[in-house]
Amino acid sequence: MNKIFKNHKSTSSSPVNLLSSHLLAIEGMQKYEIEGLLDRANYFANLDRHSDTKKLSGYVVLNVFFENSTRTRVSFELAARRLGAEVINISLINSSIKKGESLLDTASTLNAMRPDLLIVRHPHSGAPHLFADYLNCSIINAGDGRHEHPTQALLDALTIKRRIGHLEGLKISICGDIANSRVARSNIHLLNIMGAEVRCVAPSTLMPLNLEKLGVKCFYNMEEGIRDADVVMLLRLQNERMSGTENPSEREYFKFFGLDETKLSLANSNAVIMHPGPMNRGVEIASALADDTNRSLIKTQVEMGVAVRMSIIESLIHTKTKSLEK
Amino acid sequence: MAYTIFKSINVLNPRTNFDEKSNVVIENNKIISISKKINLETLTNQKSVTIYDGNGLTISPGLMDMRVNLGKTENLKLTQKVALENGITSIVILPNQTPKLNNPSIIDHIYKQSENTILPKVNVYGAATKDDAGLEMSELGLMSEMGAVGFTNGNKSIKNSLVMRRLMSYAKMINRPIIQHAEDQDLSGLNQASTTSIRGEMNEGEISTRLGLIGIPSCAEVIMIERDIRLAELTGVHYHVAHVSTREAIDVIRQAKKKGLNITCDTAPPYFLLNENVLLNYDTSFKISPPLRTEDDRMAVIEGIQDGTIDAIASDHRARSKDTKVQPFSAASIGAAGIETLFSLTLELVHKKLINLNKAISLISLNPSKILKIKEPTLELHEDATFIIFDDKFKSTINQKDLMFSPTPFEGRSIKGHILATFIRGNPSHLNNLLRKRVLNEF
Repeated sequence: MNKIFKNHKSTSSSPVNLLSSHLLAIEGMQKYEIEGLLDRANYFANLDRHSDTKKLSGYVVLNVFFENSTRTRVSFELAARRLGAEVINISLINSSIKKGESLLDTASTLNAMRPDLLIVRHPHSGAPHLFADYLNCSIINAGDGRHEHPTQALLDALTIKRRIGHLEGLKISICGDIANSRVARSNIHLLNIMGAEVRCVAPSTLMPLNLEKLGVKCFYNMEEGIRDADVVMLLRLQNERMSGTENPSEREYFKFFGLDETKLSLANSNAVIMHPGPMNRGVEIASALADDTNRSLIKTQVEMGVAVRMSIIESLIHTKTKSLEK
Repeated sequence: MAYTIFKSINVLNPRTNFDEKSNVVIENNKIISISKKINLETLTNQKSVTIYDGNGLTISPGLMDMRVNLGKTENLKLTQKVALENGITSIVILPNQTPKLNNPSIIDHIYKQSENTILPKVNVYGAATKDDAGLEMSELGLMSEMGAVGFTNGNKSIKNSLVMRRLMSYAKMINRPIIQHAEDQDLSGLNQASTTSIRGEMNEGEISTRLGLIGIPSCAEVIMIERDIRLAELTGVHYHVAHVSTREAIDVIRQAKKKGLNITCDTAPPYFLLNENVLLNYDTSFKISPPLRTEDDRMAVIEGIQDGTIDAIASDHRARSKDTKVQPFSAASIGAAGIETLFSLTLELVHKKLINLNKAISLISLNPSKILKIKEPTLELHEDATFIIFDDKFKSTINQKDLMFSPTPFEGRSIKGHILATFIRGNPSHLNNLLRKRVLNEF
């Protein structure tokens, strides 16, 4: 791979003591927690894929998805397996709802099987908080409605750190469907905590009210919003969360808010492109740019996902174990 | 002859703005004396006399809760009983219950079911439209003959402008008010055609953005009120806005009142005691409609109460089972219980020196009665002895475990004010032990 990967050797070889035994949101996390998790993730990322990391042998992780997911689910599964934990995948898309069981009943049934960690993705904002309130295992929010997707923000941060070396002072433009994006919210909080300059670019219909109060600058013109940016993060248009009046058409969206060479030329000449996936080629991003390995970090993001999730799983179990010892 | 005497008790009468220490004598079901001096000797010769030491206590007319969601008609008796224990001697129930109160026979049925000389009086709003879509006028005249005190679609707005015009015109003719839950359903994403993915869940603003919940813009309320005011002007109807929650809405109502239009409105305790910031941990007991608004809106509600723009306070009682509330915020049911906390939470305005005690009581007794033209109890000679005894200094904490209905949005809140007794037409329907201990002399 490239040079910076080698330069960015981590010295951290121990899990992080976190303030909570759950990872529900980036909002409210401390800088040292994020730095610790990233350092540890970087250590895992640098390890040989076949080196022994099976410290969590005998632990049970449930991957509970109430919403479709391929990459996040597989990424969590790989991360847990590389740590030696048992992983059980449970897909509950509409199933428990159809049978009339309440979410909490489903959750406490799973909890009764005494897992060590529950990874939850749910279409409703705040659902993992409900789990955390009523269950006694650790919870990782793998994406809740429009609220947060904390592991995505951490893997994005690791990706940027490994490429550029730092987060502080970077100009980062998050572009697209901010209103419906949990990735955007987690990234806004994380990048702010780490001292980056965060800008959001979206059509006015997809920009949530008072977003500037989260510490970002809002732009409705992409050329202005990505000028001199070091990182351009694109978001997927979440048509499934829209009513048909947010956006006139995909071609109009691409014209004004899709990333192409012309718009990218306004950013910093070394600017990198990121996208949490899955992408709509020709809508959020010109297809050729997505495949430009010099500029696009999209595949690195996926790769870093496993390392970051190893770091999170390990640190949460470590934190939970320590709290039980007390 | 049976006599009940409250000695040296603070007497409140919002109708005459009377607020003095006095002695009150009740003979059977009527008030026969309210005076500084009392000739105990002539009375104590009588056969049955109960004298209570009223020092530090207050007597006021029984309270009225003008907005109660029953849920199911089976809840009628329980709701009456709980209302009674909380000083409420009259409730008005909304029509969107199971079954719907949208025809004269069901309204007659509710009146007959609830008739009880020692329990609170139940009054009924009729459904303004027959159908859920809100397009066909119900039999307003026949329901009105059966005792419906006003017409509303409950927790849904009357959305169609032509339907609203016709309803107002007809209601004016039969001399009944139209009560509106003011919310532009399209704007708040509650339109039936909308998919769940855009359904408004809380007030729109910084908090909804942080939580990733779908916002209901505050203008959804005032837009509906502004339209309705035009139609009220056109038809001359008495238009009543239920549970106002935004500064803009209150401003518009204030202006319309200045213009001399026949417009009244009420609010509920969550809107003058809480703001949207409490939602930050997704607590679904705060999921109510209209949603909790900003601190500025809360201040505007208090100003509206103080200057009389807001005429009344209702509990907006809408009890919900734990099962429907222990859910992710988006999936949780809308509404909170309120009948048990209406009195003490309204009193908070007095303890915070925002209004005086008579004003507070009038907001939950005299004013709602006037709005709905229901004869109110009053503490005057020869009137029915329907009143409450309370201790406005009594301190306690709201605790869900002590309440009959859930959820309360006020869990853990310190309150001051406690109902010691509720008398209905001379009958001590609810009598707390704290009052029993104050009996001075019983024959």
